[in-house]
Amino acid sequence: MNADLSVDIRGMRLRGPVLAASGTFGYGTEVPLLERRALGAMVSKGIFLRAREGTAPPRIVETPGGMLNAIGLQGPGVEALIRDFAPSWAEWDFPVLVNINGESSSEYGELAARLDGVPGVAGFEINISCPNVEQGGLYFGNDPRAAAAVTEAVRRRTKLPVWVKLTPMVSDIGVIARAVEGAGADALCAINTFVGMSIDLNAYKPRLSFRTGGLSGPAIRPLAVHLAHQAARAVRIPVIGIGGITRAEDALEFLVAGCAAVQVGTATFVNPKAIADVHDGIAAFLEAKGFSALTDLPRYLPRD
Amino acid sequence: MFVLGLEAPEIASSVRAGQFVNLGWAGGPLLRRPFSVYRADGDHIEVVLKAVGAGTAQLLGMELGDRVSCLGPLGRGFELAGRSAVLVSGGLGVAPMPLVVRDARTSGMEVTWVHGARTAAELCAEAEGDTLIWATDDGSQGFHGTAVAAAPDGDVVVACGPNRMLAAVAERWPHAQVAVETYMGCGTGVCLGCAVPLRRGGYDRACKEGPVYHAADIDWSALPSHLAYAVGA
Repeated sequence: MNADLSVDIRGMRLRGPVLAASGTFGYGTEVPLLERRALGAMVSKGIFLRAREGTAPPRIVETPGGMLNAIGLQGPGVEALIRDFAPSWAEWDFPVLVNINGESSSEYGELAARLDGVPGVAGFEINISCPNVEQGGLYFGNDPRAAAAVTEAVRRRTKLPVWVKLTPMVSDIGVIARAVEGAGADALCAINTFVGMSIDLNAYKPRLSFRTGGLSGPAIRPLAVHLAHQAARAVRIPVIGIGGITRAEDALEFLVAGCAAVQVGTATFVNPKAIADVHDGIAAFLEAKGFSALTDLPRYLPRD
Repeated sequence: MFVLGLEAPEIASSVRAGQFVNLGWAGGPLLRRPFSVYRADGDHIEVVLKAVGAGTAQLLGMELGDRVSCLGPLGRGFELAGRSAVLVSGGLGVAPMPLVVRDARTSGMEVTWVHGARTAAELCAEAEGDTLIWATDDGSQGFHGTAVAAAPDGDVVVACGPNRMLAAVAERWPHAQVAVETYMGCGTGVCLGCAVPLRRGGYDRACKEGPVYHAADIDWSALPSHLAYAVGA
């Protein structure tokens, strides 16, 4: 009984390997129904320097085994986050990383500088799936140089852990993974949502007002396991697997495929206790297999 | 229209008119589906539904004793105070009304319920209140026209139905309390999927600040009127 599920993400000790994915746990304080008992860490809803209204509805649509969302990173801006949410985080028994977003490398850097040292902020997850306004709207995450530049911009402004959340919409995730590792990332989170579209056959147009949305949920899991595995093979820093995890077995697939930890997202929308359930299921699996610690779990990770 | 009864003691004892539950079930769609609580009595609550898609067909195929995961009560309900309440419902908008009648009567209000549908066959058979008015688009029963046109004024006007109908309610009674329909993700306030556009700018969440709003607070031109859950295979 009581297998040791703690993990170490480059010096950041987590009590368990199951983390809350950005945008699926809010800022942790305003959603009382969500279960925090077994959280390894929480990644906050994405934040920009300034408040954002978000996109017009419809913002979400269900698809087979998944959902498309285009929320538009609605949020109150960094000052409100520091004032309203961070003080609670400082009291919690698990770390909170802030998911940071910007329209230019310097905006990411400014955010990191502003948040560095704020009690309750334990680190950063850089969302590189944003358009780079200074480069005609090309996505940072699709270009190894831009991805590295953003990572460096944040790295220079903080000593806290810097994680980089990779987009799956690339031809070779290993190239991006190595670029951000070289730029000083402490860990990679793989992967963000896939871009998708769903058409309303009565209106002859996309169901989402934004036209496209990010696809998440069980539908993307095998794609995500593969991409997280490819990223893990490409780098030496830890990779945190994300994509369609609903049950402990799903999380274990990512862990065996080479991930150090996982994030649960869409499943929390369906089951506010999903993270605790996944955590408990991993413990039960390890015990049933006779492992006393998660570190004993066999991994399938041949090196490139 | 069908009524589904659920044993849910904690919800039954605490639910207020206008609040909803989010239902999920084995073999069902990925996301839960929101339903206004129709009635609550003892350990039981009821919801109403129409057979529209695969999900509702699964719910209607359930046997006595089958289990459904039921999250609630969610959202903010109606505020009922004054001498008289006028309830305006269209189609499945009957859903919150029996609890409105209950809570309004508890507050000592006189209740008039106006219910509209396209035809007599689509009207809800169950209704209560001190005064009942039926309205049908085709005139096959009661008032020939919309429920909004058939309704008298009251201290409090409460409305639920298609968003197009609620926009008409907003024109006639800006102070009315309306329960809006949105596409919903989590129902708990976290996903921000159920955005309701506000007249003052920005959005808030139907599942948390809503689903009941003052009609004048909503930007009706930006609230989608047609909502279809797209799932399939």
